Amino acid sequence: MRDFAYHRATTLEQAGPLAARAESAILAGGTTLLDLAKCDVVRPAEVVDITHLPGLADIRADAESLHLGALVRMAAAMRHVAVRAACPAVAQALALSASAQIRNMATLGGNLLQRTRCAYYRDPASFPACNRRTPGSGCAAAGGVTHHHALLGTSEACIATYPGDLAVALVAVGAVIEIGTRWMPAEDFFLLPGETPHREFALEPGEIVTALCIPASAASRRSAYLKLRDRASYEFASVSVAAGLELAADGTIADVRLALGGVATIPWRLHAVEAALTGRHPTPATLREASLLAMQGATPRPDNRHKLDLAPRLVHRALEQLLQGDAA
Amino acid sequence: MSPLDISPQRGDAGDGIGGRPPRIDGLAKIRGEAAYAMDQPVEGLAHAVLVTATIAAGWVRGIDRTAAEAAPGVLLVLTPGNTPPLHAASTWTGEAPPTSEYRPLEPEIRHVGQQIALVVAESLEQATEAATLLRVDYEAAPFLADFTVPDAGEGQDLPPLTIERGDADTALASADIRISAEYGTPREYNVPIEPHGLTARWDGDALTLWEPSQWLDGMARNYAEWFGIGFEQVRLISPYIGGGFGSKALALPHGAIAAQAARMLGRPVKLVLTRPQTFTAFGGRAATRQLLELGADADGHLLAIRHRGWQETSRNGLWVEPLNAATALMYEVPHLSSRQRVVPVNTVTPSAKRAPGENPSAFALECAMDELAYALGQDPLALRLRNEPGRDPHSGKLWSSRRMREAYAAGADSFGWARRNPTPGAMRDGPLRLGWGMAAGTYPVRRSAGEAMVRILADGGVEVASSTSDMGTGAYTILAQTAASVFGLPLARVRVTLGDSTLPRAPVSGGSQMAGLMTGAVDKAARAAREELIGLALNDPRSPLRGVANTLAVAEGRLIAPRGEAPPLPIAELLTAIGRDRVEALRDTLAENGLKPEDRYRAFTTVSTMRAPTDGEYSMHSWCAHFVELAVDEALGSVRLRRIVTAFDAGLLYNPRLAESQIKGGIVMGIGQALLEGGIVDRRHARVLNNNLADYLLPTHADIPPIEVISVGEPDPHASALGGKGVGELGIVGLAAAIANAVFHATGKRVRDLPITLADLC
Amino acid sequence: MPPTAHAAAPAAAPPAALPQGSPVPNRPITLFINGHDHVVMVEDRTTLLDALRERLHLTGTKKGCDQGQCGACTVHLDGQRVLACLTLARQAEGSAIATIEGLAGADGTLHAVQAAFLAEDAFQCGFCTPGQIMSAVACIREGHAGSEAEIREYMSGNLCRCGAYPHIVAAVQRAAAALPSEASS
Repeated sequence: MRDFAYHRATTLEQAGPLAARAESAILAGGTTLLDLAKCDVVRPAEVVDITHLPGLADIRADAESLHLGALVRMAAAMRHVAVRAACPAVAQALALSASAQIRNMATLGGNLLQRTRCAYYRDPASFPACNRRTPGSGCAAAGGVTHHHALLGTSEACIATYPGDLAVALVAVGAVIEIGTRWMPAEDFFLLPGETPHREFALEPGEIVTALCIPASAASRRSAYLKLRDRASYEFASVSVAAGLELAADGTIADVRLALGGVATIPWRLHAVEAALTGRHPTPATLREASLLAMQGATPRPDNRHKLDLAPRLVHRALEQLLQGDAA
Repeated sequence: MSPLDISPQRGDAGDGIGGRPPRIDGLAKIRGEAAYAMDQPVEGLAHAVLVTATIAAGWVRGIDRTAAEAAPGVLLVLTPGNTPPLHAASTWTGEAPPTSEYRPLEPEIRHVGQQIALVVAESLEQATEAATLLRVDYEAAPFLADFTVPDAGEGQDLPPLTIERGDADTALASADIRISAEYGTPREYNVPIEPHGLTARWDGDALTLWEPSQWLDGMARNYAEWFGIGFEQVRLISPYIGGGFGSKALALPHGAIAAQAARMLGRPVKLVLTRPQTFTAFGGRAATRQLLELGADADGHLLAIRHRGWQETSRNGLWVEPLNAATALMYEVPHLSSRQRVVPVNTVTPSAKRAPGENPSAFALECAMDELAYALGQDPLALRLRNEPGRDPHSGKLWSSRRMREAYAAGADSFGWARRNPTPGAMRDGPLRLGWGMAAGTYPVRRSAGEAMVRILADGGVEVASSTSDMGTGAYTILAQTAASVFGLPLARVRVTLGDSTLPRAPVSGGSQMAGLMTGAVDKAARAAREELIGLALNDPRSPLRGVANTLAVAEGRLIAPRGEAPPLPIAELLTAIGRDRVEALRDTLAENGLKPEDRYRAFTTVSTMRAPTDGEYSMHSWCAHFVELAVDEALGSVRLRRIVTAFDAGLLYNPRLAESQIKGGIVMGIGQALLEGGIVDRRHARVLNNNLADYLLPTHADIPPIEVISVGEPDPHASALGGKGVGELGIVGLAAAIANAVFHATGKRVRDLPITLADLC
Repeated sequence: MPPTAHAAAPAAAPPAALPQGSPVPNRPITLFINGHDHVVMVEDRTTLLDALRERLHLTGTKKGCDQGQCGACTVHLDGQRVLACLTLARQAEGSAIATIEGLAGADGTLHAVQAAFLAEDAFQCGFCTPGQIMSAVACIREGHAGSEAEIREYMSGNLCRCGAYPHIVAAVQRAAAALPSEASS
């Protein structure tokens, strides 16, 4: 790690300007920042510890929404009865993330901002070319080993996968991100790489995520998160899906929410699948056919082609599970 | 610091050999008091960080040290240009070096990750930052990324591994049933959780090293030769080792440069490899490929095996992973043809990882046997029993012991193998397809000489000392048990000191040989000390037992006259009476291994005197049979293990509790090999991309099912002094094949390249 | 890290002279560890792990990867298990830090988890063991030791290359029977 100065911010008003300085980085749980600093991917001159800011670690639920302070630790959110009731997909996504230790450290806000696990991105000494790290330097991953790289949302400039779980669940259930005094749908918070992969989040310098808000909905209350990976635990998703479902009185699908993780450059909302299901009876054939739309528009590579099949099957499995939950 | 004063609970079969007492080093480990090499407090320490090559082949034209040297706290920056050469050291096999000089920092680059510079600073943080400030000017050259690239070719033949028994080609051509398949294993890494590293301190011409070591004498010799000092001037200290699995037996380049820096600086230097560096500073298991053809008659009698193997090695070093180690041994086969080739590529030289040879050999052979069983329409276990050899088909010698049938029977019975429906995909649990697979494994009995000091103390307690090491094998405990047996003492009265090269000699703790030979050495020394004690009791004028009895026994810390001629005399009282503060015996087992006193140095500091399993009248090996149940999610391709039963014959178990732990440990590592582990090479750069523990996947708790291990062994008097055979490597051999066979049984898909992943099965 | 790093400078430039002056390399901080205050000189970038090991010589906490990937450095911060390698020493100022050295009673009485590890032979080389034990203590306290499957999942942040996993699970079960857990909220 390069040398840096540590500041412990005690108010949001103090933290903002500190964080806005050109060479400063915000430190919350530290699980991403210190990791990347050790990899020499980020080289802050100043680190602003925001974990002591007051009022950002609350969990509140009312009839309209579930409010999660950005400094709530993953483990606390995962265990909270209100979270489990309002959005099981979020609780499950958190429980399937990282390890118990990291979940005790990492904050919800920081979790959203975690960076790709692209091996080329994480090793600047070996791979100077990385548009995400250094705009215009190229992409070392293109033509390399890409079994963990994205099939959706990619660009010429970047094919790095967004690695998180929580964000996938949030995008599915239409969560809103609070950034100080402004709000933004979670789906808009994550930026496609396009020509500017170094801009990953819709945040301006000095802006701090302050809360996540999940609007109350039947689909959120009846939601689930499935995560597929080779290792049984403590591994990033090979493919994951967040799904939420609301059935109408006539048994048709009134509302369905789906998003994929592990296969796209950002948490990937499955609007086409949702549209193909909404208003329909959830027959096995309908579920299967709609699920097949999950990877529409995908650009596979030779070593990640299998995800073209896996992702639709996982979507299908998630929907089946939610329906079975209804029967039970 | 050392586990000397620990009083373990008494085991349920006593404290002697064969009992199950808990580890005597356990208390120090669970308290966080066990001082591993990197935990040693050394005054005046400077911290070093290694800088490694980012190209696979070529030259370092120059390194600009200016910025690094100007960085805060930096004490020394070593590069190929400013580092004096060391003396070349002879090899671990005892061969003289080909050159006279050894340069730990070379300008010529042969693999990514090769060390090219060392930065030493006052603090670790300073050294780490300064290491990023070096500017390296490379001249890149063409390279071979791995043995799959076309330019790598077929490699070189390894004639010593050629076997031509009978006429395999003709026999195959006439066989009723034939199968032919190719199996691959990737680069696999040892990955002990303790990274490699050391602290080196010079006091004049004397070098002290705190470094984890599976072989203190061998590594001390290597350092002595590098630095042109006497063997006795090197002291290597390694009381605890945070895992090695074959990777901590040799002095390595990072050790040379750290010791070099300490000498140049006149200060102790501590260098710990970063986790990514542990993937390139030393080799793991070489990537392998095997082509196997099996031919059998319609009844399932094997007629012939044709085996061709390929493995990687480096451009500047030869590591041989003997791929027919199990192929030639497991079954009664009249015709066998086996050849192996080694393909040099731009990688670090591969090295020993748990069961080198036997492991990949058994993976291919045991998968092929399963394929043959299906081709024959026979039960895989029945096929194996049909081809069980009465003697070693390779050497023609009788087995010293081979309780393979007993292992099959015990394993199958506990597992419930008879209930298996052989049709792939036929056994289900809801949406999951269940797979039941089995495979066998073996590991040879290797033998070297050992040496130990056993000291009877004035308080009646006993001390055992040797330079052998305990990397979790249980050496502390079983050597204490050995002495406890001889003296009839409770374990709490036995102290064991290990892991210091100034102690009596020991060969490498590798090849699963340590327990057998060191219990033999301790037993011999303990008996000698006991004889001397009895002699003193009978003959010393001051002995209360003099003239009272003609013979004496020793039990429960007392001298006992066999016919009750005198009351039992505590050892402590005898020593007090005769004015001695100790009785001690230093004994080696050179003679038992056919060696002479002048072989002593070579015997302990090289492997040149290690005896083959067929050296002598018998062919000597451990054996095991694995039975695995797993579940495959058919739609998603995920494999999750449900249970494993392994029955094994490793002769007498010195401490069954610890031996069972080691067998289970081998099984767990085999699970990783089967389903998770493998170096992923970016062939454009010859770089292993997953050089960390988030991407090179070790099994976690969640990956491991209940494991039952059953010992079917009986004491094997030919294999070792006390009747044990090798344990440490056995459990991993064949396990990956059992899993691959179970995956086939679940899915009908035969995956022949490890690891078996989602991408293979979805 | 190797040399071509400069060619790959990320968006944030290397540290230069800051308007408010360069960071002070070493400053004393007070860490409250195992019930006692320790004054220790650290750099701002010094991790809690390096502060414990290299500066306070509390070496029971191990460095296995330094990247948050193995769990060997698990300690408790205000009762929660965390990774010392991804925690700055300065972040831990004002918190109660517990390490393996402080787990047994002052009179040497083993913690129930320690005793269970010994009884079940839940380790071999012992290197990951302090982290496993600290993690297990928290796992039980969190109420995540209800079944073998739950223990396995909630202990999966602690890698053991010797493969002592089945025995660790048995040790956690044994200790859990003797220890209270917090009801999960």
